[in-house]
Amino acid sequence: MNPRPGGAFPDVALPDHTGRERRLSELAGGDPVALLTSRGWWCPKEQRYMRELCRLQDEFEVAYARIVVLSVDTPEVQAAFRAGLGARFTFLSDAERRWLAPLDLLETTDTVQRPYRPAAFTLFPDLRIHRVYNGYWYWGRATMEELRRDMREISREIRDDWEVPAR
Amino acid sequence: MRPFAFVVFDGERLSADPGAPGRRLRVDSRCVEGERITGAFAHVCALPDRSAALRYDEPEVQQARRDALAWWIPLLGDAFVCLSTFALDASRCGGAVTVAREPSRFEDDPFTQLFPGTIVESDIFCEVPPPAGPPIERYAGAPWPGGRFMRP
Repeated sequence: MNPRPGGAFPDVALPDHTGRERRLSELAGGDPVALLTSRGWWCPKEQRYMRELCRLQDEFEVAYARIVVLSVDTPEVQAAFRAGLGARFTFLSDAERRWLAPLDLLETTDTVQRPYRPAAFTLFPDLRIHRVYNGYWYWGRATMEELRRDMREISREIRDDWEVPAR
Repeated sequence: MRPFAFVVFDGERLSADPGAPGRRLRVDSRCVEGERITGAFAHVCALPDRSAALRYDEPEVQQARRDALAWWIPLLGDAFVCLSTFALDASRCGGAVTVAREPSRFEDDPFTQLFPGTIVESDIFCEVPPPAGPPIERYAGAPWPGGRFMRP
């Protein structure tokens, strides 16, 4: 499985940062999703990028769109990281690395942590993939402007009243 | 499923009977239309007085929802059962209810910033997955965090 634009992202079921089992489709809840895979709390690049996402969440919170972060950190670690960041979105924990191989997102150069390679997937509510970003190098990550653009493009396609309804 | 159901609060008790005496409040329907949790505790941050209302768009009501996503639900941990704001109509909020299996954390409830909390033992609520975040806006007037936009 190699998630590509136009394909379907798998409806992964994993524990969230509180330990509850969640499905990605349930988290989407009918809205567009920015799904970010992350090495984990210990990576300075992740800490920097997550702070950017926390600024962007102030727009997502009023724009009917979701942010989901997927990493190999345990729920307890994710909860602490999330609290420290001030994040209000959901983290999914793949501490057992169930989806690393199926998604082909193992960061092969880190043989110690075996984390997710940083990537971003912008998804339609039905988990159809809009765009994919490879963040192995920091500059490859989805910028906040690119996430805004993708959310606009997806919303324009799925919101029937994108054009203001006539009176 | 309808986006909201009604509960009635008389200042001391909560009822799912819409004909019960007290103030009728709209809740996320998922909270009362499933398998009920017996022996739960509801923290009702609301008043029976019909004039006790704030607009959902007021900063303090927005902030209480942010706090619920950021730390209130994680703080409750496995004790969390469900949470809903109380909608009065398309724009006004009458408070919120948080339901948990035990009440020890209720003094930290961020919705007490809106209205004082009353602890009520209740068997009328169901377990609902916590909201995913970060949205705090409502979906077509449904009591947050319920509702969603439906596609044809």
